[in-house]
Amino acid sequence: MQRPFHGLNQIGAFKVMTNPNSPEDPRVAVESARKAFEQEFERFVRLTDASALALSLADAETEQRALADLRTRHMGKKSALAACKKLIGKVAPDERAAFGQLVQRAEAEITERVTTADETLNSLLQSARRERDRIDVTLPGRRPRQGHIHPITKLRERIEDIFVSLGYAIEDDREIETDFYNFDALNIPANHPARAPQDTFYTTEGFALRSQTSTVQIHAMQRRGVPLRMIAPGRVFRRDTPDPTHNPMFFQVEGLCVDRGITMAHLKGTVAEFLRRMFGAQTVTRFRPSYFPFTEPSAEFDFSCFKCGGSGCRICKQSGWIELGGSGMVHPNVLRIAGVDPEIYSGFAFGLGIDRMCALMYGLDDIRLLFENDIRFLEQFD
Amino acid sequence: MLISYNWLRELTGTKLTPLELRERLTMVGLAIDSVDENEGDSLLDVEVPSNRPDCLSHVGIAREVAVIEKSKVQSPKSKVPKTQGKASDFAAVEIEDPYLCSRYAARIVRGVKIGPSPDWLAKRLNEIGQRPINNVADITNYVLHELGQPLHAFDLTKLNGQKIIVRRARAGEKLQTLDGVDRVLDNEMLVIADAERPVALAGIMGGLDSEISTSTVDVLIESAYFDPDSIRRTARKLGMDTEASKRFERGADCENVVNAQARCVELICEIAGGIASEDVIDVYPRPLTARSITFRPERVESLTSLRVDVAEMDRILVALGFVEGAAAKDTKTFVVPSWRVDVSLEEDLVEEIARHVGYEHIGSELPPSAMAGEYQPAELKRRKIRRALTSLGFDEAINLSFIDPAHDEVFALAATNQLATQSSFVTLSNPILEDVTRMRPSLLPGLLQSLRHNFNQGTRDVRLFEIGRVFAGPDGDELPHESESLALILSGGASEQDRAQASRELDFYDLTGALQAAISALNLPPLVFAEAEVKHLRAGQSANISLADGTVIGSAGTLSETISAGYKFRQRVYVAELDLTAVFEIAEHEIKYTPLPRYPSVVRDVTLLVGRNVAFTELVGAIESEEIDDYQRVKLVGTYEGQNIPAQKRSVTLRVEYRSDQRTLRDEEVEERHRRLLDSLLKKFSAVLH
Ligand SMILES: [Zn+2]
Repeated sequence: MQRPFHGLNQIGAFKVMTNPNSPEDPRVAVESARKAFEQEFERFVRLTDASALALSLADAETEQRALADLRTRHMGKKSALAACKKLIGKVAPDERAAFGQLVQRAEAEITERVTTADETLNSLLQSARRERDRIDVTLPGRRPRQGHIHPITKLRERIEDIFVSLGYAIEDDREIETDFYNFDALNIPANHPARAPQDTFYTTEGFALRSQTSTVQIHAMQRRGVPLRMIAPGRVFRRDTPDPTHNPMFFQVEGLCVDRGITMAHLKGTVAEFLRRMFGAQTVTRFRPSYFPFTEPSAEFDFSCFKCGGSGCRICKQSGWIELGGSGMVHPNVLRIAGVDPEIYSGFAFGLGIDRMCALMYGLDDIRLLFENDIRFLEQFD
Repeated sequence: MLISYNWLRELTGTKLTPLELRERLTMVGLAIDSVDENEGDSLLDVEVPSNRPDCLSHVGIAREVAVIEKSKVQSPKSKVPKTQGKASDFAAVEIEDPYLCSRYAARIVRGVKIGPSPDWLAKRLNEIGQRPINNVADITNYVLHELGQPLHAFDLTKLNGQKIIVRRARAGEKLQTLDGVDRVLDNEMLVIADAERPVALAGIMGGLDSEISTSTVDVLIESAYFDPDSIRRTARKLGMDTEASKRFERGADCENVVNAQARCVELICEIAGGIASEDVIDVYPRPLTARSITFRPERVESLTSLRVDVAEMDRILVALGFVEGAAAKDTKTFVVPSWRVDVSLEEDLVEEIARHVGYEHIGSELPPSAMAGEYQPAELKRRKIRRALTSLGFDEAINLSFIDPAHDEVFALAATNQLATQSSFVTLSNPILEDVTRMRPSLLPGLLQSLRHNFNQGTRDVRLFEIGRVFAGPDGDELPHESESLALILSGGASEQDRAQASRELDFYDLTGALQAAISALNLPPLVFAEAEVKHLRAGQSANISLADGTVIGSAGTLSETISAGYKFRQRVYVAELDLTAVFEIAEHEIKYTPLPRYPSVVRDVTLLVGRNVAFTELVGAIESEEIDDYQRVKLVGTYEGQNIPAQKRSVTLRVEYRSDQRTLRDEEVEERHRRLLDSLLKKFSAVLH
């Protein structure tokens, strides 16, 4: 095995610069190494202007391999340039610095050109690979079509959640009722127009389709006794011809709270709390006297218009208030019929239409849409 | 009801502006829908609650305003008329039915001059939406809107025998009313008759024959009290709703009869001239007895939480016309004014006080917490079903509960209603939509209608479900049977969210898969499907649905071609319905942990060529019944029919899993067990390996 320094020592120092044309002149070796590089590098010159390139990914990869090859041959350990570097030590000391600089310049030049070409190729390759691999990340994600819960159910569930959290039980009962539960027990007098077949549906056997879910309150008081807190959401029926604001069937929720010492303040507090949770913390509720056969005193409640906040708009008919439901202190006759002593217990009741709330909340202009089951309609309530 | 602000101010001297009145009246229970300016006046549209007929007049509203402003109602003034002669010299009054008419007062004015009303009168009536006719008719109308008492003026000379008889109509009797309509009457209806025939429909509308005309000289002014129920029934029956009937059917003021008549007569003499009779024929067979109420002032606070001075309570009640009677310790007595037909209980007095103190002064607080909230157990289950189905792409539908009886007998009903025969459908006696008289025994007709609607709108891919009550006829006099049902309908492609094209067409297995998803959301054992004839389903693609214990609870399948054709469906429709009430009764699975396997399992796939009539569940049943050692489970890989498969055959690929809990099974052990299984299957189903 050859020991390189040994050979070098044997040759010893010699004058190189005496004759620049002499083939022994080491500068010639540098020059020829440079030349050889120039020649081979020719094909990569165009790489300096990346924008002019239209290499395919495969061509670029070939070029990159060729460039790596070229780098090994002209800059590697066995390259002519490496040989020139070894000569530096052999040049006479007075010329060594100059020669060293010459070699260094040549090396720097070659390195710089190869590196630039390599970088150009690399960025070219990167972008070519990105082009190859690119997907459209904005396409809709893959999932089966999502179905939708009916807007009435959505509201109903929300109402139930609110009242359960306030300590109420959810109750329901029959949709076809006796006159007793639908009217008598609710203190609706025998001659009251609501009982007429113009207003209430009857089966051929003379049973009524419940016209309010207050029927459930009576069943619940009889079944559970008092004290009692419950709400009854459900389907009710009234003989209205369908139009944009009426359906012969709709959904209602009625609430009842019976205990010792219950007052109208509790009614106001409960309804106000419910409406704040439903329509937002800024919602203001207003109670005003009204009349219902099953409550005394009775009150209708309005809430501050969620659209205009009370200043007046189309939704609230410029009044700043939206009528929402009826309420009051349970009529003593109703308590007595359900077996509750009005001298010991008192209670409040309230009721409101879920369909109406739905229309208000979503800005529905025709509530008949609620029962058409048009997918384009149902899809809007996510 | 329209109230003129100027008129109201004459009666009350109110200092409130129309807009302030709107606010204040609303807060005492008389909601004002609108306030409209009109030529120097303002009109308030008052929504009078149905129990407050006393507020259906300017004086009625004035009474409330006076309580609000702590002022007094100023009774309208008119000139004392010239009088001459007894009323009975000119006419006679007889009440045949004192239960339907408890008071009738008649007074005569002779020598009137009929003509148009003076401007002020015509303007006032016009303003509140009343059309002026002639001075006498207008005055009766004016007094009605002023004092709330309906009045009627007859042309005295047109009353046969100058006689008024208040009686029931005879069946078939006829009367042409002022609106020109010929009315056929029955003996439930009360009429005002002369000696020969009806001349007015009592409390509703006068007759054309005895109407005031330009030639009228002598008039009889009627002021009466009629039974509210009788007036309501007659008005409903004849489809009439008049200013008079509106007041009588809610309850007029019996004690205002003569008073209002006097005001009317005075205005007639003043405006139309004439001489009034000195007195009134006042037939009052059943005088009103005033109600008196025992009242404990502390009830105000215990019901409303309002703390009100007893003096203020008295002020409000007295101002409203209540008269204080004898008082005892802690209790008072109040006599109800004749115009307040709505007040009879202590609680009513509490409301009177509360509304005039103002509901806005009642506090607002939650009742002390006392109980834990509680969902209906079934409601939580419904929620799970809804979530399971919506996540599979189903939208929730809600249909009306009534359907056309044309659907009777077309659909097989869910099990609990299977006993229902045609005679036991629940039928409405008064439907609102023509022909829609049945309470639905099935949810399917509604869903098919919804599907048709969606197809009509150009939506082709539809999956809907509905949860709702279905109804079946009662046994005897009992209430109809109600139970809860779940129905599914699907058709078209399996759409993907946000993509235009469905990934594939929906089929029968989307239906059964969705049903299983709904059931497993409830943590119940899977449903069992078995091929069965179901009348609304296509033969060969119809199944009964049963519970693990074998109870049939519904059906699922492809809609029959006949029904499809009826709806003009051009693509296949799959429907299912099951009895949710029965499902809700099943006990939930108890979840128990099974230790994870300690040894690996080995699976073997097998493809069998079997007859098309061999059901997958039969194969599974056969495999399980073999009780092969270390057998764990079998799952479907796939089925294939068509090319390379003989007709009437189907290839079924199954994956059988073997595993021991004691050790790792050796290959030859698995081989031996699998072989045994195959031999038995091949024999049992005359199958061949494929
Ligand atoms: Zn508004």
